[in-house]
Amino acid sequence: MTALLTVENLSKRFGGLQAVADVSLEVSPGEVCSVIGPNGAGKTTLFNMISGVLRPSGGRITFDGIDLSTISPWKFAAVGIGRTFQNLALFKHGTVVENILTGRHTHLRSTVLDAVVFFGRTRNEEIAARQRVEQIIEFLEIEHIRDAVVGTLSYGQQKRVELGRALASEPKLLLLDEMVSGMNQEETEDIARFVLDIRDELGITVVMIEHEMRIVMDISDRIHVLNFGRKIAEGTPDAIRLDPAVAEAYLGGQRAEAMAKAGA
Amino acid sequence: MRTGDYKQSYGELVALIDSPPVWLWSAVLLLALIAAPFVLNSYALSFLMIILITVTGALGLNILTGYTGLISLGHVGFLVTGAYAYAVLVSRYHMPPLVGFLGAGVVPALASLIVGAPSLRLKGLYLAITTLAFSFIINTVILEMRWLTNGARGIQVQRPEMFGISFDSDAAFTYLCLAIAALTLLGTLNIRRSRVGRAFVAIRDNDTAARVMGINLHAYKLLAFVTSAFITGIAGALYGIYLSFVSVEGFPFLLSIEALAILIVGGLGSALGAVLGTVLIVLLPEATRLVFSLFSAQMDATFATGAQELKSMLYGLVIILFLRFQPRGLVGAWHDIKRAWVHWPLRY
Repeated sequence: MTALLTVENLSKRFGGLQAVADVSLEVSPGEVCSVIGPNGAGKTTLFNMISGVLRPSGGRITFDGIDLSTISPWKFAAVGIGRTFQNLALFKHGTVVENILTGRHTHLRSTVLDAVVFFGRTRNEEIAARQRVEQIIEFLEIEHIRDAVVGTLSYGQQKRVELGRALASEPKLLLLDEMVSGMNQEETEDIARFVLDIRDELGITVVMIEHEMRIVMDISDRIHVLNFGRKIAEGTPDAIRLDPAVAEAYLGGQRAEAMAKAGA
Repeated sequence: MRTGDYKQSYGELVALIDSPPVWLWSAVLLLALIAAPFVLNSYALSFLMIILITVTGALGLNILTGYTGLISLGHVGFLVTGAYAYAVLVSRYHMPPLVGFLGAGVVPALASLIVGAPSLRLKGLYLAITTLAFSFIINTVILEMRWLTNGARGIQVQRPEMFGISFDSDAAFTYLCLAIAALTLLGTLNIRRSRVGRAFVAIRDNDTAARVMGINLHAYKLLAFVTSAFITGIAGALYGIYLSFVSVEGFPFLLSIEALAILIVGGLGSALGAVLGTVLIVLLPEATRLVFSLFSAQMDATFATGAQELKSMLYGLVIILFLRFQPRGLVGAWHDIKRAWVHWPLRY
């Protein structure tokens, strides 16, 4: 099976800081894949490059057969890359419905002249978009807050709206940046369920950055580990759990040795 | 908020007016405006004309500053460009007024591409300064292009005759202003509930997220400039016709500030706010004059001589008071009143 996303020798340098160095990874269609690593490992920078927020300093990203460096960043959504943000990037004055509708942007066609008249095609298009948004709202179980202004919602709810907005663009690849940070057990389990449903029912490949190890180990097919901008390990959850390099990155050298001894 | 208000189709969800009472009150307002020229004296009618023209201009600025979040201190530049485009086409080259109005929209829209281009890289204060500079440059250009614009002497403008109707009388011209203001309001609301309007607001609220949603930031910022300038230019043409004389002095810098004051007082990013703000800001100097004239005739005289200075002081004062006590503007106050009305006597 050919990979949906191929990252080759990707680097990003901010002045003297090498945030991402020579990272390569592949994501196959239909995978749920996690990127983990200590704070400052370059995970979000990696996501920013894949989603077009930042330009790479070196290396290459190929998505669905397209070299992403050949197209403008705003077109990434149209080729099928959707994402959520670590620190929420909602349109906070809008309602839940409006936010998710904005996610439909690439699927709508009306120009400003069509919009002014708002008749026929434009109206039908808006009605269809609204219908699709209702399906997403139902999928994410947020019917009760659909008309609420997102700025007034709780953190967990806002995260869910952001997920809805990303889904509205019907991506092939969904990048989730720390979806469950700051969520309680119940909310975390909801998100885990959504991620699996997104893959199984909607057929969307998911890559998530996550610190919450339970969700990473439970639902990932594959895990990539970054430390100081470099990839130090890759494998199934079971393999990663036993990987000495990963234990060292997370726990420090001596503790990792002690753990290994205790385990043995 | 409303009870017993059930939607039965997706069409109702995207409707502009979704309940019978709102239809009723909108119709009542429209009828009242249509009846106004028969009831009001010519002094009051001139205020109605100014309000309708200003609403059109404020709605134009609202698209750029309210929706897209790009602050323009130089919108009077588009106003004056529109007025001159109309005056030159109609008074000088004797084109039909309809062509004049089209030109009044298109010429500022083209000019906005020149100002809009830096906006792709500039934000906030820097963009505001760029637009401010534009409005002064435009004045100089108009004064220097004597062969076209008559320079400082200005151009006389007649009230137009279109579709076989003469808009010479005050009543007829009020209807023209009303028609244009109403269509602009409808168009603005339509833009706001479509893909384009959502893209504008997305750019204002979070431009990184907007781009990740697939919105072409450059194209949409320029589109906001062009749309805004087109509408503002038409308002400029109407204002020129109202003054019956187009000159650089007729469009002082204070108009840019007045337009921003309207948006802040009304509530940024709301078409309804632009309308409410216009009514308040246009009538404010007159209302203040009336109140003071009750006390002494001398006050009245002071108002007559120092009208411009007092106007700018009033605008400043109103902006400060609104930012301090009602930052969401009149629209915010209106929502609070509605909420209180629905929930009384419970608090929420």
